[in-house]
Amino acid sequence: MANPQKPRAPFAPWDRRELPGSFSVEETARRVGHYKWAEMKLFEALGGWIATVPELDIKMRLGTHCYKHAWHAELWHKRLPELREMNPERLTLPANDAMVRFIDAMTEPEAPELTIEKLVGVYRVFIPHFISAYTYHLNNTSEITDMPTIRSIKFILQDEFDDWREGEMLIQSLLETPEEVDRAAAHQAKLEKIMLEAGGIAGPGSIGINTPAPQGAMS
Amino acid sequence: MAITVTPETFSFVSFDSAYIARIANLVAEQLGLTDIDIEIAVDETSPLTRIDVEVTDSLISIRPLSGALEDTRRPRQQSELATTLAMARSMLRARDRLRGGFENAPLDTELSLPQAAAWDTYILGRITRMSIEVKKQAALYNFRNRHGFNDASDHVFEKIWNAETFTWDELSALSANTLTLSA
Amino acid sequence: MKKFMPVEELARDERFNQITQADRMSDARSAVPANAESTRRSSNRLTPARADASDAARALMHGIFVGEIQALEGAGRTCWDFTTGEEAPFGLKLDMARQAWDEARHVEISLKLGDWMGSDVGQYAENTVLFQAACSNDPVLRLAGVNRALEGLAIDVFTSMKEFGEMAGDPYLEFCEDWMLADEVTHVKMGSDWLRKVTENDPERRKKALEFQSIVDKMFSYGGSRSDSDESSLGIARRFRELAGFTSDENEHIADLGLQALEERKAQIREKQAAAKN
Repeated sequence: MANPQKPRAPFAPWDRRELPGSFSVEETARRVGHYKWAEMKLFEALGGWIATVPELDIKMRLGTHCYKHAWHAELWHKRLPELREMNPERLTLPANDAMVRFIDAMTEPEAPELTIEKLVGVYRVFIPHFISAYTYHLNNTSEITDMPTIRSIKFILQDEFDDWREGEMLIQSLLETPEEVDRAAAHQAKLEKIMLEAGGIAGPGSIGINTPAPQGAMS
Repeated sequence: MAITVTPETFSFVSFDSAYIARIANLVAEQLGLTDIDIEIAVDETSPLTRIDVEVTDSLISIRPLSGALEDTRRPRQQSELATTLAMARSMLRARDRLRGGFENAPLDTELSLPQAAAWDTYILGRITRMSIEVKKQAALYNFRNRHGFNDASDHVFEKIWNAETFTWDELSALSANTLTLSA
Repeated sequence: MKKFMPVEELARDERFNQITQADRMSDARSAVPANAESTRRSSNRLTPARADASDAARALMHGIFVGEIQALEGAGRTCWDFTTGEEAPFGLKLDMARQAWDEARHVEISLKLGDWMGSDVGQYAENTVLFQAACSNDPVLRLAGVNRALEGLAIDVFTSMKEFGEMAGDPYLEFCEDWMLADEVTHVKMGSDWLRKVTENDPERRKKALEFQSIVDKMFSYGGSRSDSDESSLGIARRFRELAGFTSDENEHIADLGLQALEERKAQIREKQAAAKN
């Protein structure tokens, strides 16, 4: 074994983490508040839909996914006070009005024959936007100062990818006619347009495009 | 051959005695039980599934509780399949007793639970081959409940299920040996 | 999607046939002897010693399966029906989402057990009483109905099935029921804790919730199917109920309700059978 008294570099040669990051504490808290709001809306919708879908396999998957998004909301709820927001509810907000309209439109389908629309809203629109916003955050925040957010995002992204894949496969299994493909595409386009207006889960700048000017960030 | 069904009209369930008689007649013909009278007395006051069968040289007496003929999806409605199965099970048991090889079999009320399960397996296996729908996994579960949840028990189940000409002594010995192996 | 879903709208595929508790109770037949002098067997406890044990266990397993679907739907609806903060605390809704995941697993487990025991999905009628009775529009009453009454019933049922598996030597059944039982104890505890917390400064509301639970508990005794009497197929799982936060007094109360329901059902059966004979 090497001499334990010998000085070693504090950062190992394979540790290439960088200090600079795009987000200040405030900006991080703002984003995290939007993430929490959106994850809450998603778990509530999934929970509500369980009783409305007749397909047994989908009913069970919605129950499983409902909890995952509740857990994500809980992770963000716990992160907010660590970002100097002692009243987490204050920042638990939609990014903008368009985001509220998106949730309203996404949760509109209720009838048992609308499972395609329910799944398309979640797995072809909402969750892909979560993946984008989280990936952007993961790749742009400080790898040292904001490690707790990174750790949460990594856990969450694992869930999002798993659920997205499962949801997409369920949709593909439901699409049996060209008309149903059209239905799915039309609903996706309708929701995507509202999401475009919202600018993403955290509003404009969710994935770096149209980002508001960073305040106090070091990049 | 005369087939009688009582009650003629049902008050607790929506069963049809003529329909029960028609099904019983078809099953009796399939089993070659055309030279003996059959009396079916449904106890409609119980939703349970037990069926008592008594046999003499001239009469097969079948006494099912109403649950044995019922559509489990639609309570109080009669099921064609359940009625067919109930008749086939009862008549095959009666035929075993009448046609020899089962002289040593105890009365139905004196059968041990493993013996009853083994005989029922023998009956259900033959019913399957009459092209009547039987849930084999349900029969296996019952056999396992009575003889043990292990490979030896499953092996004996298969043997009994596929058999056509067992005697009571062979059947009861298989059941007893399986219990010894499972112990 | 609207708030508060009526029981008639619970979505199912064509394999299922739903019936109400009223349908069930209008059945004048009974496995429970209505008269003391009846010659039918004296014990209805679900044990392997019953001649119809395999059939009865299979039917109960299907009842558990549809009950789990309704519990899954009930927990999910609590996430949707109540506004976070104003009507239901955030933590309560997180617990309900967790419960939805647990119930989804229970549906999966029940499906596998159904295969194991030889039954098909929808083979038996689905009684929708669990959702109907438990899913009140008041979040506190719903906690009492779903998490304490319904999940309390689940503790009794799983304990019976676990013991059945043990006695029959069915390792698969015993293993699965033990796991589900652990979850149900957790769910009842969630209900007990939230009920206490949410009604901390509102004794009147707590009293109302406990009264509601009592009504639902009696309904879930299914005309005496659950009681301390051997005439009932299910007993009261006192030890696990206590682990979940039920007091001894509460357990005795549920036991009394069960006996009461049994006697009422027997009287009702006697009456219906006499009417049918005349």
